Amino acid sequence: MNGFATLATQSAEPATLRKVHLRDTEDGAHALEVFLASVERKAFRIAQIALRHEADALDVVQDAMLQLSARYGSRPAAEWRPLFYRILENRIRDVQRRRSVRNRVMAMMPWRTGEDDEPASDPIAEAIDTGPSPGTLLESDEILRALEQALAALPNRQREAFLLRNFEGLDVAQTAQAMKCSEGSVKTHYFRAVQALRGKLGDLRA
Amino acid sequence: MVGGQAMDSELELRARALLVGSAENLPGAVRSRLTRARHAALAARQARMRYQLQRWLPASAVAAAVLALLVVFVPHGRHAPAAAFDPLIGNVAGVEEIELLSSGMPLNADQDVDDDFYEWAVDAADGAGGAVHATTTNAAGT
Repeated sequence: MNGFATLATQSAEPATLRKVHLRDTEDGAHALEVFLASVERKAFRIAQIALRHEADALDVVQDAMLQLSARYGSRPAAEWRPLFYRILENRIRDVQRRRSVRNRVMAMMPWRTGEDDEPASDPIAEAIDTGPSPGTLLESDEILRALEQALAALPNRQREAFLLRNFEGLDVAQTAQAMKCSEGSVKTHYFRAVQALRGKLGDLRA
Repeated sequence: MVGGQAMDSELELRARALLVGSAENLPGAVRSRLTRARHAALAARQARMRYQLQRWLPASAVAAAVLALLVVFVPHGRHAPAAAFDPLIGNVAGVEEIELLSSGMPLNADQDVDDDFYEWAVDAADGAGGAVHATTTNAAGT
């Protein structure tokens, strides 16, 4: 039995998926496929929350999958999850950086009238300020939207720590590996993220 | 907090439930695109493995051939050379011995034999045998 069994028990996946993991530890390709299937939706949501753009999020997830399977597919299965999320976060940061550069360059173009420019201020932060208060969030969709906006407004490292720990269910060590930082930093980022979210959303009660 | 170090707050529990629910209820188009992305990733892995195999296969074949040649043709250290062996007729020394036996020639024909010595030895043996024979018959007669 290799590390994939350990991986399966650590993750918060459905029991049926876990059984498949345990049964197919010998077949590397199948194990990789099962792993990718188990992370793709959460990875997409993480990318979507960070980028606020569906197509970009899908591209980022596909890139992460390609790189993991091509370069790290032969690694022990227990390493796949933190590696995958590290690749994903790097891709997300690349897209954010490209957007930032593009926006700066476009803002400097003399023929731009400024009508279709993106506003200089952070629209996500503004959306949170103008959004419904926690007391008036009655619908689940609205709560989810508010949560997404609040997460997107967090600093990158805080958002990564919160999503990897809370949503994906990685432990502190795996999160530190994925974020390429110390476990102490992960705890600090996570704590600050929870504090910031609580300040904006209360306890998220409907 | 996740990991059981401390009790999760209401916010953390609610946030997790909302996010997990949203991930499970993705639109069909997104799920389809994710499935295609997964298959593309697996296909890329197979292509990469095939490429690596093709890249190393000729080198491996050459190395194996060189090793085989070394094993076959290099004499083995201090061991005595094996008997001559012809792949068509087998052990050459054995065949030569069979031909020699079937030719009808005396086995020592190629040697310098002292015939006088053998004739003398036969006579001497006969003489001694005759003497012994006479002694035994006399003893029996008495």
